[in-house]
Amino acid sequence: MVEEKKKSKNLVKDISFRVVKASLKAILIYLLYFLVAPMVAPLLGLIPGFMESIEAFIIIYIVLMLLSDLTERTIFQCFFDTARALFFMGYLLFSMGDGVINTTYQNFSLTVNLTLFYTVAVLLSLLGFAKSILQAINFMHERAEASGNLQL
Amino acid sequence: MNVPIRVLGLATSIFWIFLIAFIASAAYSVKDLNFDVGEPQFTTAPGGQLMFSLPLYINNRGYYSLKEFQLSTVFSDAEGSEIARDNTYVAVIPHGENLTIIHNVTLSMDSLLENGEQYLFNDNNLTASVTAGLNFAELFPAQISTNFTYPWGAPFYNFALGQPSFGRFNVTHSLVTVPMSFENHAAFDLVGNIRIELYDGSDALLGESQTIVSAPQQSSYNGDVEFYVPLNVASLSASRSGRFDVYFSTPLFEYGPLVIPYG
Repeated sequence: MVEEKKKSKNLVKDISFRVVKASLKAILIYLLYFLVAPMVAPLLGLIPGFMESIEAFIIIYIVLMLLSDLTERTIFQCFFDTARALFFMGYLLFSMGDGVINTTYQNFSLTVNLTLFYTVAVLLSLLGFAKSILQAINFMHERAEASGNLQL
Repeated sequence: MNVPIRVLGLATSIFWIFLIAFIASAAYSVKDLNFDVGEPQFTTAPGGQLMFSLPLYINNRGYYSLKEFQLSTVFSDAEGSEIARDNTYVAVIPHGENLTIIHNVTLSMDSLLENGEQYLFNDNNLTASVTAGLNFAELFPAQISTNFTYPWGAPFYNFALGQPSFGRFNVTHSLVTVPMSFENHAAFDLVGNIRIELYDGSDALLGESQTIVSAPQQSSYNGDVEFYVPLNVASLSASRSGRFDVYFSTPLFEYGPLVIPYG
């Protein structure tokens, strides 16, 4: 009875820790966006609708990150991490296309080649994707190991 | 397996932080870049060429150097045929530096006249296509291009020769006076020689005259051209109608004959 009470207390503690951790991370990410956005606005503001799409991207990214943190140490964390990495790659793919941005302002036509940045960002998100796959494999492996030990 | 996963996560996070910090600082630097364009100037260059000079003032107060700055201008006529093209290249514009670049485009009057004599006698619009490219922060090649029309002022705008008036000079010769006028709309001062041949109705050369003209830019020229024609009844009667053949000779171009009938 005491042990059960202790277990549920630990669970509450664990869940509240996850919530605090997830919230802090989300606030930190949003704060980073809040600080960086005015800096990049003069450049990205030239591309119509780009800043708005970044805002939508940040919201979805934070939601996926929150869910991943809340489901920590479960298989769902791997799903959400994978979804986040895939979402990031998808967003890059759809928003940037071939990495060359063309925009016109009055009589001027501006072309910015972001291919190198695009490549680095995709490679980093691939690393994130690989990490979440490894996490899933590790999770399944540990679970199988634990059930094997129990059977013994 | 936990350790490699954590290391992978940590490495990814560090790279992300570097990338975001770099992007943010590079984008922030853009607002500290200052490009200014000065007043374009036309000057005459030896060899019958016109030099179009465009001063560019670049103040790079950003955090990164600008590399491979390239400015290219193409002048073309109303039909789209290329008249002149020139490039200006600067390898590096270091951060924190002010730089003045003079972008020169050489326009050959001879090649301009190949496209038609209207450039001598009629104002026109030339199309200038300007393309500027640079490599910003070593990672972002950017290019900006624009088209604008450049008004071309004709050096002999509204060139006209009036009706010749005949007067007696001496017992053997008659003095023929022809009023000549034009406006120099060009962006350069005009100094040159105009040679005019006077022909009568039967295509016989009555006389020849040369005049040195000097017309500063955006000014009018009015003068008289005088011919000494041998006094001959036949030629006088024939000279009621005829034509002028006009030859222009300036340090920038040679042109002629321009045929102007009279009578």
